[in-house]
Amino acid sequence: MDAFWIILTGSLVAVSCAILGSFLILRKMSMVGDAISHSVLPGIVIAFFIAGSMQSIWMLVGAGILGILTTFLIEFFHQKGRLQTDASIGVTFTWLFALGVILVTYYAGNAHIDQDCILHGEIAYVPIDLIYDSNGNAIGPKAVIILSFVLGLILLFVVLFYKELFITTFDASFAKVVGISTNKWHYALMGLVSLTTVASFESVGAILVVALLIAPAAAAYLITNQLKVMLLLSSAFGILSAFFGYWLSYLVDGSIAGAMVTVAGIIFAICYFIVRFKK
Amino acid sequence: MKKLSFILIVLVALAGCTNKQERSNDKPHIVATTGMLFDAVVNIGGDKITAEAIMGPGVDPHLYKATQGDLAKFNQADMIIYNGILLEGKMSEILKKLGKQKPTVAAAESIPKEMLKSAIGYKDAYDPHVWFDVSRWKYAVKAISEAIISLDSTNQQFYYDNTRRYLSQLDSLDQYVKVRIKSIPENQRILITAHDAFTYFGDAYGMRVEGLQGISTVADFGLKDIAELIDLIIQNNIKAIFVETSVSEKSINAVVTGCKEKGHNVRIGGYLYSDAMGEFGTDEGTYIGMFRKNVETIVNALK
Repeated sequence: MDAFWIILTGSLVAVSCAILGSFLILRKMSMVGDAISHSVLPGIVIAFFIAGSMQSIWMLVGAGILGILTTFLIEFFHQKGRLQTDASIGVTFTWLFALGVILVTYYAGNAHIDQDCILHGEIAYVPIDLIYDSNGNAIGPKAVIILSFVLGLILLFVVLFYKELFITTFDASFAKVVGISTNKWHYALMGLVSLTTVASFESVGAILVVALLIAPAAAAYLITNQLKVMLLLSSAFGILSAFFGYWLSYLVDGSIAGAMVTVAGIIFAICYFIVRFKK
Repeated sequence: MKKLSFILIVLVALAGCTNKQERSNDKPHIVATTGMLFDAVVNIGGDKITAEAIMGPGVDPHLYKATQGDLAKFNQADMIIYNGILLEGKMSEILKKLGKQKPTVAAAESIPKEMLKSAIGYKDAYDPHVWFDVSRWKYAVKAISEAIISLDSTNQQFYYDNTRRYLSQLDSLDQYVKVRIKSIPENQRILITAHDAFTYFGDAYGMRVEGLQGISTVADFGLKDIAELIDLIIQNNIKAIFVETSVSEKSINAVVTGCKEKGHNVRIGGYLYSDAMGEFGTDEGTYIGMFRKNVETIVNALK
């Protein structure tokens, strides 16, 4: 049963990340996940000062607010400052992370505050971190419940607004002509990205999320040039990474997240060689 | 899409068939997170229990990354003993919740709150390195003993005797440390290390403790910290500073070099065990042996 929960959790994260990651790649913003993983630090520290405790819920709120602020700043510098997106991402997250480091060393040098200790979860512990109903019966792992909700929200968003997302991603000027606000959809998508990344960090840790946001979508991008196919393929690659990654970690008794990311990398390499030698 | 969901179902079904490891005997099986706790469990439980440690020698508990096998260890345990006070980071939170399914004991949290040193005055933020004061650590040992007895009451007397013997060993360790530290000249009783793990040690045995890094092993040290430490070393004419086995020695080397530039020779007094102990099976792999070794290192370097 443990294996089932871990693979299910991995797959939920993988599909959420694959769908959002596909849009991010097409918008040249893949590294936004990595950026958020760093820039949440000041949010955690400030949440700790305000709440005076290290309870997960406060840390999530602090991290979530900073995640949205990050995506907002990235877009702001990109549009108003005319920076390329990569430079804009780089400037934003390093600055916010540095701010967090200063806050920790100056105000909380003696307390144990950092993302690794407080925010980042560990996928290995998903099956034992359960949610209980009022009678004390276990309903299911916390991460599975939260991540199912997140995935549901993403699916709903993409299915309902597929047309708008499609047009604003591929042809911003056409979107303007037909009266679709590129800004509005961009912020909606980025809001969803920061929600997903922060919730996933809390459940499974950072490296898995950052990698699954990029690798499966990148592999699918090599193979197809149709958005729908890309979304399905990247989701499938994500699930395969979670599944084989789990068994790889079982085989070597290693980090589960590390093994899942390794498999995602191998899938990308296979796709690359297939595409390359077909031509 | 249909094909895809079919594959999904097969994969998930396959995932369900894991092999479960059978335990060879029906002794209570106790899993402890750190080496210090494991050592207490082994001393109290003797051969009436089986025990296992999650973190091996030289592992920094603040940064520990779980492996696939750790989950199986937790699942097979009849009881899990952890330090608590956030030493294990988020793992402590999860183990506390797991308490609804099987007994989990936060041994260090049995120490009365007024004996804990608050890190910055916030209610949840205490310094978790309690094992470096024997009298505080005895509370944790007693908590472990009570937990083991409640798990297996048939061997109550056996555990009780072991606990008493272990506690008296700890008492003589406590005495020994006090005597040895007193042999350092009073103005030399300053312990400088990379990582702030020795606050309770200093408090209990009358040494001033200065760390470069703060409690969290990832918080960076500032340039001002180094400058202040160098001034302190020169003012007090300190002979040696220390490196810890589970923390990089890079930062402490910066202090040594800084002192040299100002014309004061301070040397590295040796390696101290802080967050982890030595190899299992060696003398330094036990709590008492590790503690004695630390004290010898400190006394020999500062005397």
